[in-house]
Amino acid sequence: MAVPHTVDVLVIGGGATGAGVLRDLARRGMTSLLVDREDFATGTSGRYHGLLHSGGRYVGKDKVAARECIEENRVLRRIAPASIEDTGGYFVATPDDPDDYVEAFADNCNQSGVDCDEVRVADLLAREPAINPGIRRAFRVPDGSIEPWGLIEAMVADARARGSDALTYHKVIGMEVAGGRIETVTVRDERTGSVSRVWPKFVVSAAGAWAGQIAALANVKVEMTPGKGTMLVYNYRVTDAVINRCHRSSDGDIMVPIHSVSILGTTDIKVPDPDDYDITRAEIRRLVDEGEKLFPSLREMRILRAYAGVRPLYQAPADTVAGAGNRSISRAHAILDHADQGVDNFVSIVGGKMTTHRLMAEQTVDAVAQKLGNTTACTTADEVLPGMEPGHHYWVGHRLADHEAEGGGDADLLCECELVTRRMAEAYLDTHWPCSIDDVRRGTRVGMGPCQGAFCTFRVAGLVAERLDAHTKATGRPAPGTEPGTPEEVGHAPGSGSLHAAIADRALTAFMRERAKGVRPIASGRQLQELMMTNLVFVDVLGVESLSTASALVFEDEEAVDAAR
Amino acid sequence: MSIADIVREATELPVSRSADECLKCNVCNTVCPVLRVTDKFPGPKYSGPQGQRFRLAHLQPIGGPGSANPPSPDASVDYCSGCGWCTTACPAGVKIAEMNNQARARLREGTRPKLRDWGLGQTDLTGTLGVAFSPIANVAMRNRPLRRAMELAIGVHHKAPVPPFAKRTFHATWKRRQAKAGTGSGKAQPGPDKAIVYFHGCSANYYEPHVAEAAVWVLRRNGFETIVPDQVCCGLPLISNGLYEDARAHACKNAKSLARYAKAGYRIIGTSTSCTHTIKAEYEEMLDMRDEDTRAISAATWDIMEFLLDLHEQGRLDTGFGRLDEDLPYHAPCQLRSHGIGLPALDLFALIPGLRARDMDHDCCGIAGTYGLKREKYDIAMAVGRPLFDKITASGATVAACDSETCRWQIEAATGVRTRHPIEILAESYRAMDRARGTAEPPGA
Amino acid sequence: MPHADVVVIGAGLSGLTAATRLAEAGAVVTLVAKGHARTHWGSGGLDIAAPHAARTPADGVARLAALDHPYSYLAPCVAPSVAWMMERLAAAGLPYAGTLDTPIRRVPTAIGGTRRVAIVPQAQSAALRPWGRDEVLVVAGIAGYKDFWPLAIADSLAREAVWHGADRPAAVVGVSVELRGLGDRHNLNAMHLARRFDEGALRADDIAAIARAVERAAEGRPGRVALPAVFGLAAHAETWAALRAQLPLEPFEVPLVPPSVPGIRLWRVLRDRIRAAGGRVQLGEFVHAVRVEDGRVTAVEMEAATRTHAIRTEALVLATGGLSGGGLRATDDGRIVEPVLGLHVEAVEQDAWLVRDGLDPAGHPVEAAGVRADPDLRPLGADHRVSHANVHVVGGLLADQRSIRERCGDGVAIASGWRAARGLASDATRSPIDCEMADSARTEL
Repeated sequence: MAVPHTVDVLVIGGGATGAGVLRDLARRGMTSLLVDREDFATGTSGRYHGLLHSGGRYVGKDKVAARECIEENRVLRRIAPASIEDTGGYFVATPDDPDDYVEAFADNCNQSGVDCDEVRVADLLAREPAINPGIRRAFRVPDGSIEPWGLIEAMVADARARGSDALTYHKVIGMEVAGGRIETVTVRDERTGSVSRVWPKFVVSAAGAWAGQIAALANVKVEMTPGKGTMLVYNYRVTDAVINRCHRSSDGDIMVPIHSVSILGTTDIKVPDPDDYDITRAEIRRLVDEGEKLFPSLREMRILRAYAGVRPLYQAPADTVAGAGNRSISRAHAILDHADQGVDNFVSIVGGKMTTHRLMAEQTVDAVAQKLGNTTACTTADEVLPGMEPGHHYWVGHRLADHEAEGGGDADLLCECELVTRRMAEAYLDTHWPCSIDDVRRGTRVGMGPCQGAFCTFRVAGLVAERLDAHTKATGRPAPGTEPGTPEEVGHAPGSGSLHAAIADRALTAFMRERAKGVRPIASGRQLQELMMTNLVFVDVLGVESLSTASALVFEDEEAVDAAR
Repeated sequence: MSIADIVREATELPVSRSADECLKCNVCNTVCPVLRVTDKFPGPKYSGPQGQRFRLAHLQPIGGPGSANPPSPDASVDYCSGCGWCTTACPAGVKIAEMNNQARARLREGTRPKLRDWGLGQTDLTGTLGVAFSPIANVAMRNRPLRRAMELAIGVHHKAPVPPFAKRTFHATWKRRQAKAGTGSGKAQPGPDKAIVYFHGCSANYYEPHVAEAAVWVLRRNGFETIVPDQVCCGLPLISNGLYEDARAHACKNAKSLARYAKAGYRIIGTSTSCTHTIKAEYEEMLDMRDEDTRAISAATWDIMEFLLDLHEQGRLDTGFGRLDEDLPYHAPCQLRSHGIGLPALDLFALIPGLRARDMDHDCCGIAGTYGLKREKYDIAMAVGRPLFDKITASGATVAACDSETCRWQIEAATGVRTRHPIEILAESYRAMDRARGTAEPPGA
Repeated sequence: MPHADVVVIGAGLSGLTAATRLAEAGAVVTLVAKGHARTHWGSGGLDIAAPHAARTPADGVARLAALDHPYSYLAPCVAPSVAWMMERLAAAGLPYAGTLDTPIRRVPTAIGGTRRVAIVPQAQSAALRPWGRDEVLVVAGIAGYKDFWPLAIADSLAREAVWHGADRPAAVVGVSVELRGLGDRHNLNAMHLARRFDEGALRADDIAAIARAVERAAEGRPGRVALPAVFGLAAHAETWAALRAQLPLEPFEVPLVPPSVPGIRLWRVLRDRIRAAGGRVQLGEFVHAVRVEDGRVTAVEMEAATRTHAIRTEALVLATGGLSGGGLRATDDGRIVEPVLGLHVEAVEQDAWLVRDGLDPAGHPVEAAGVRADPDLRPLGADHRVSHANVHVVGGLLADQRSIRERCGDGVAIASGWRAARGLASDATRSPIDCEMADSARTEL
């Protein structure tokens, strides 16, 4: 895919908001290009707890945000059914939650338009036996869970059908500002290293927590306050519905069932750099200590891994309160027109949340349209996204049911934990090649289950090799993505298998590293045992450390190995 | 009771949560006898801890009956025979077979059971009718066209091993004998150190009263009188066909009748390893019954071989065994392994002079309770047991031994070798001693 | 209560070694284990010691013996115990190649990397020979089998970098072979393939198909063939002989992700040997308590349906493994515990358990966690004194080894299992066995 010279609008950031902006622009007739430095949803959109907000979490402190949530919740259920599981949700009052908050909860919901019914505690406990039997009251709300990857792909597909485009692995590395406008934006293809320039009429930064870095390229100041949220992934469904504590939102007070896992969220800690943060054991302890108040046997349940995302929190300079924690910063969004800092064709959309991404996009595009003199009305709430069937939500068993319908069995399962078949992986490769094995993971959930990639990463690599070989045999030419000029190619014959092997090495060694990283803060019990078993297999049986990307570490310094003892 | 309640009870947490222990190491798949022979069952890892992650944790309206989203979306789990080898071999303690059993129950929740599955569960009803009409029934069960018709009508394979009904139930014989001897209500019952409670189960009652007679005889020789209270089927055929509610009703009846003995210190002895295992473990584990009576009878229940070996270890077993000069192929049934008591029959056989008992060391005969009777599973069951059948045939022995009734019937049908309960072998050995000593009494006395 | 001279807990290589030797020496030995473990996960080879700089296993042992490592006291037992083990494997038709003085060499792996080995099953041994300058390596996989991807493996092995300076084939070619009927399979794991070769019905056709594909790929060049390690379990020897006879190039097996067919072959040989010598092997036994009186273990209690199943014993061999085997368990509050006896565990602080980089050459510090033992392998408490006089700790549970990085797991397992059995067997049977052999070995090393 080539980078076009001119576009109406350049959208920076391939999260939900950026994809929503791209789609909205395209539907209003503004041909646009979206770029992201990595794959879609590699930032905050792919690293959150998966909640489709009913608004219940905001009714106590921010009724505007609550109202936005419930309205957008209804819209998303309508336009993106396949990305949503209609789990329903409950706010439950544990003995630790303040009476006044609980008393006011239903009224607060009513005032914000959030549907809320009190249910009998006994009925809820019968349905969700993992919940603390000591809860005093329970309220049902229309929470759900939402899966970002398919949603973003569908929005991009809608935009593409209307002449717009999106390029992943294209990083914005420079902007040329002249006469109060961004004249050109320089983009580097992160896979080939090639650099191109784009002349946009208008630039929208939907870079979330990274908005400050993007704005700085145009000498614009945007003060982001990235808030790290750490989450724990539990091995399977702890509950079938979203369970929230009925109190002012805090750490470890929500469990979201999404696909075959449940996610306990979250912490909120200010971090200076959205790309550099660690997950500490103290955070994990805090999450589990709090989570235990909702689920008394939580400590016995298996955590697959811990991960963190950074909230794109924005604090307008005047709001700054010395010493205030991050939870006091508004979750609402803001559209920053950088004309006030002397750049007339540049807005940043900051703050907000996945549930309201469409509304954020609508308001952003309204601002852009006004500036460009486009008067077409927003239609993004009106139509079901391409590839989705109205009213058909996904549900936890769908993959198993689908696989059974095709005859079942495990011969064709590349990923046994998440039931990814060879055919599913091939379909993804057909539409996304050239791509990384990590992209296949996001696109298909390969490697996201309890073994965390131990048994499937090399199978995907094997499948890719077979396909490249078939392509070369059939056409006599190297497969796309292995042509001359790609950076991995240094030292390899053009189009040769060894290039693929280098790509596979990266995936396999990245797997070993990423896995240790995710397990490190939660290592105990079976998850540590499984890490050790995997190490045994990968090191002793498969010799992973002999692969090229690992070798520098292993064999250069034998002295260091002995010294380490 | 709402459907949510039923499913919640079926989904007993410790079993379903044991999916957390899975290391994904594939050991279970290496020992599954069904996966070994058929493609219809996707294997214990897939159906167990993996499938579990795609089943609703509990019950949501979205997954209710009639919905497109059933609580258990994988019908293939029905091909698990429940032999339990996966649970045995798992290094991490995942209760895979139990998980599969619960998934089967969820699969059937809210739907009418197949007539066949219901029928196979009603062992008391079939047994009572069968015994009452045994001359006709036994001829009918040997009639091939009739069996084919039965296969078409209710799905029981025409070649599946079904033993002949007894002429009279053990229970009826026993009652009559007690009445004749004037025992029962009037006479003082011996204490728990002098008597045991016998749980005959369906097989000894309706099909194999000779096993019950042998048990009573051997127990008396070792100083224990037998008490036979009213009882019904233990409920296992219902559990393995996913009919938990009916099974609970059976369990309650048994608890009611047997608990007072258990609480008074009597041991409940069974000759069917599957009945005794059901009472010992599954009332609580699968049926979620935790009341005092059920616990009392669970704790008091012993397999007869386990009980006799325990007597031996205390030095109280009559070890005056007579010589039996023969080869005896022995198959340890899957249910025995679930007891976790080793192979007591082999230990006891070792006391019999001349007897060359040999463990056939084969995983499963294939029948797995009622599994191998079913039309769609008969061939699988035969393939699972084939190596065992071949070994027994090749041994040239005329008699084999096995603790579980359905396994005995399967082995007999497949090999033609008479297959007996170990208690019959012990009884025969005692009689051999009596003959040698010249103190033999007429059988059945 | 049943009685044993020695109870061994754990069915990995160390437990199997100890139980084999004890049973052969005439001790009454019962091996109990929760399930299968490392035998089913590993390569099936014998990794004795291959720390980074080691040239031979003997050299590796000497290097590790100089550190705080179990070899610092086990080194003298390595040579006799490994020789002892290899004799038994060969006698059972599963010969191994290599010795302690065989140079450690790089052999291809199933992800197209290389690993360093010296002692491997005969079927893997052709990979050990240095590569001639004109030799081609054909990587032949089985179409539809998902754990061995020949084209990706060949692509990777064609790169000089993965051989790390070792000699390597002049060319590497991948080829995928279609075997009859496999394309329709819904289930296909290593065990299915191994059993297909065991059964023999399709063996000749399959081997002919592989031979044709290899012939085409080799294009007349000399060389060797890498194959997935699935060529038979019970009939491995015949299958392998047929393969060697019919392939145009010399074949070798490449071990795969679990389940490990070569490891299962090893497990079966040792299990059968224990049984043949009169020992018992019981899987599915979860030890939940051990009775200790005056610092001596007197009985081992296992979970059974409703009541504990206990074995009285004179001694205990604890072969439960390290963190990967489940003999050690990390609690979420940062302790590492030995769950059977609550032995004292040496381990680094929780924050240092894992390093950030999963490929750090030193490995994760937590790998070295374990129980320290005296030279007789009796466990040491926090006070450095023997805490249980009749307990012997063997295999992965021993502290101070990083078996994954040092590739010493099998050597420590065999040497410690053998050593523990030597002491115990002489106690149990009053006949000193093999001590001279070890003593002479001590002077050699």
